[in-house]
Amino acid sequence: MDSASTAPGVISDEKPLARVPLVLNKRNFSWLTERISGVVEQRAPRWWWVTFTITATIATFGLFCLGYQISTGVGTWGLNHPVGWAWDITNFVFWIGIGHAGTLISAILFLLRQKWRTSINRSAEAMTLFAVMCAAIFPGIHVGRVWMAWFLAPVPNSWGVWPNFRSPLMWDVFAVSTYFTVSVLFWYTGLIPDLATLRDRATSKIKKLLFGIFAVGWRGSNRNWRHYEMAYLLLAGISTPLVLSVHSVVSFDFATSILPTWHTTIFPPYFVAGAIFGGFAMVLTLMIPARAIFKLQDIITPQHIDKMAKIILLTGSFVTYAYTMEFFMAWYSGNQYEKFAFFNRVFGPYWWYWWVGMLFCNMLSPQLFWFKWCRRNIYVVYFVCMCVNAGMWFERFIIIVGGLHRDFLPSSWGMFYPTWVDIWTFIGTLGIFTSLFLLFIRFLPMIAMSEVKIVLPEANPHHGPTADHPPLVATGKERT
Amino acid sequence: MSDRSQALPAPEGEFVETSRFGGLSILFALLALVGLGLGVVGAMVDPAQFSFSWLFAFAFFFTLCAGCFFWTLVHHATDADWSVVVRRQLENIASLLAVMAVFLVPVLLLRHHLYGWMNIPPGHEEALDVKRPYLNWHFFLTRAIVFFAFFIIATQLLRRFSVRQDKDGNPRFTFWMRKLSFISLPMFALCLTFGACDWLMSLNYHWFSTMWGVYIFAGTAGSSMSLLVLVITALRNAGYLQDVVTVEHYHVMGKWMLTFTVFWAYIGFSQYMLIWYANMPEETQYFLVRNTESWWALSMLLVVGRFFGPFAILLMQGFKKRPRRLCLLAAWILCMQLLDMYVIVVPALHGTGVHVSIWDFVPLLGMGATLAFVYLRLLGRTSVFPVRDPRVIESINYQN
Repeated sequence: MDSASTAPGVISDEKPLARVPLVLNKRNFSWLTERISGVVEQRAPRWWWVTFTITATIATFGLFCLGYQISTGVGTWGLNHPVGWAWDITNFVFWIGIGHAGTLISAILFLLRQKWRTSINRSAEAMTLFAVMCAAIFPGIHVGRVWMAWFLAPVPNSWGVWPNFRSPLMWDVFAVSTYFTVSVLFWYTGLIPDLATLRDRATSKIKKLLFGIFAVGWRGSNRNWRHYEMAYLLLAGISTPLVLSVHSVVSFDFATSILPTWHTTIFPPYFVAGAIFGGFAMVLTLMIPARAIFKLQDIITPQHIDKMAKIILLTGSFVTYAYTMEFFMAWYSGNQYEKFAFFNRVFGPYWWYWWVGMLFCNMLSPQLFWFKWCRRNIYVVYFVCMCVNAGMWFERFIIIVGGLHRDFLPSSWGMFYPTWVDIWTFIGTLGIFTSLFLLFIRFLPMIAMSEVKIVLPEANPHHGPTADHPPLVATGKERT
Repeated sequence: MSDRSQALPAPEGEFVETSRFGGLSILFALLALVGLGLGVVGAMVDPAQFSFSWLFAFAFFFTLCAGCFFWTLVHHATDADWSVVVRRQLENIASLLAVMAVFLVPVLLLRHHLYGWMNIPPGHEEALDVKRPYLNWHFFLTRAIVFFAFFIIATQLLRRFSVRQDKDGNPRFTFWMRKLSFISLPMFALCLTFGACDWLMSLNYHWFSTMWGVYIFAGTAGSSMSLLVLVITALRNAGYLQDVVTVEHYHVMGKWMLTFTVFWAYIGFSQYMLIWYANMPEETQYFLVRNTESWWALSMLLVVGRFFGPFAILLMQGFKKRPRRLCLLAAWILCMQLLDMYVIVVPALHGTGVHVSIWDFVPLLGMGATLAFVYLRLLGRTSVFPVRDPRVIESINYQN
């Protein structure tokens, strides 16, 4: 720290309190452009082709399963009485949850002036879009007659039938479609300066033309930036309530019912926290390998991973709090059905989903992040993220199926057994998700170059070179 | 904004001249004596009404103090820079939780008027018997002691470390406070939640809501930030913190007020809507009382006054940068917090409609004046901001 930012009378070494730069090794603008654009401009490496072939094959089989289910009917799934919702809605909530981290990073952290978000927001937003696409498949196909899905839209038809506006399932349609639309706009707006960079660097006419079209005439002028920043701020403001509303509405699908374990007032913030929890785990799941493969460790630094791990700890702890309150209130209410349902969650036929998924993966594993050495150890971080990825799927499954399979009438109790179509439709969406993400990192800058440059010390107007603010190097060569 | 990069506070800090507030202190002391003295009369004349009036005032002041404790914890846990200059006042107000512990004593003494479940012997009501392991006097008392022990120890330690850092600027204290805050955050969540369940939710032992702790927290955080705006402005008007707190800090505080205005509405709406939608008698009883008769008007005022009004106003950036205007809204939000606590507590006594009693004002006066008196005593003992905090310069130069 330079002397101007040192408090008077401080006697000890302040090194541990010094702010760590967001981009390490004093990388300059040129290095950032070269490194990030390089990922797009170079030929696809062999590993990319191998991975893409595998994921695309899985995705194709997933699409086959969808086709098979649509042509044959929802009987191809394991749904039965009393379990009328199972893997379909579990997958929907799982993917929607994952789609929360991107906009949280882009919008809420932007409003909170968290500059570290710039290194990860682009890929997290892309991940959001792909996750929402995967999510949107399930409500669409679970209705059975997909060709009647347009009934969800409030369009008057020849029978004069309107959607039930009091149904949270209806709200879901609006919430998810609005969220997706605004997320696309937000993502695309952020991309414009970087698309212009790629346009200016393009070596072939076709690339120049395509990037040129999508860069919508960006010249980097003062006027361009002013409009851009205003649009970005407004979109951040609009996106922020959307992040909260989408998963709140998803939680209403369950909480407005009177089914034990579904109807509980804490569901909206609990679902939102769970979504951010799962979303950040997925961001790390993708970014930890990506930063290593593309040598982006100076941009996605241990500090970034540390901060994301802290958010996982925070949201995981809130989820733990919500689980605790659910159990406490189920007991406190004195309602025998509630008490039984929660007892059944822990000791019933799906007991291991709770013990492994909710207790170990969601409640206990993130607690490792109380310790700095865990947050700084990439293997521990990855382990926890994988636990959370799995745990959040289990959580949704146990909420949905656990609530349905043993309801008020013991004679109608049943179990759910997934069919191969259930299983492969879900695995197929994993394939679709990863394939889209692989295409994204091939064709678009996976890190927001323009935004990362803004948080470099060179971008900060100041009185002159200091230890924190070295003079701008205009040569474009790497400064070490 | 003018360039503040060269602004450096005096190493010895900025101290309030206690003599300036001597008269005010005496006034508060007198008001406190009058308020508390009348309170004793009230407890004897109309113990049922007075119990609820006291609990209402207790809930209001407790949430304000607990909220300031929360913001101190958040400051340390996130290593924030903007809040360094206002932190000492957060610490001072949070320290008043020790006084709130004393004010809980009348609640415990008057418990039989407040909590119906304490008057029902075991075996008379099955719905109550199943929750006896939690709702029993000894455990209730133990929990209250544990909650306040935690609040008092944590707030006193945080303030002590902070004040000691004023002397030598040793960053070691920053790390201690950070560690303490990390540990305290989950403790705070549990203590506030179960405190809210014990003292407020159990007024009607049939009713329950998993959201209750979060709802109380939402009001707590938003109203305490409003209180902070008022306290900081009062100090600035008295000539302190002039070169330290800037419009940028007001802007941040205004943004947090906006955040928790929205969060309060989100939590309140979610709780209400889910209970309305499911329409189960064991849950709707809480809102049935508060949405009928004259209570309806107060509930509606709360919805409009606590959310719609402040939300629309706080959206404007310019408003948040004007301390005088922000103060008006902060005062309004405090009134709404008062109303919120009133609508939570008093309908448990007057289920058929609003019944304002003189005893509703007496505890407010007594507690408020006592807390203000103790606050003024605390204010004079230390610098008005943590002058040697390692991030104090960052904080002074903070820009949004």
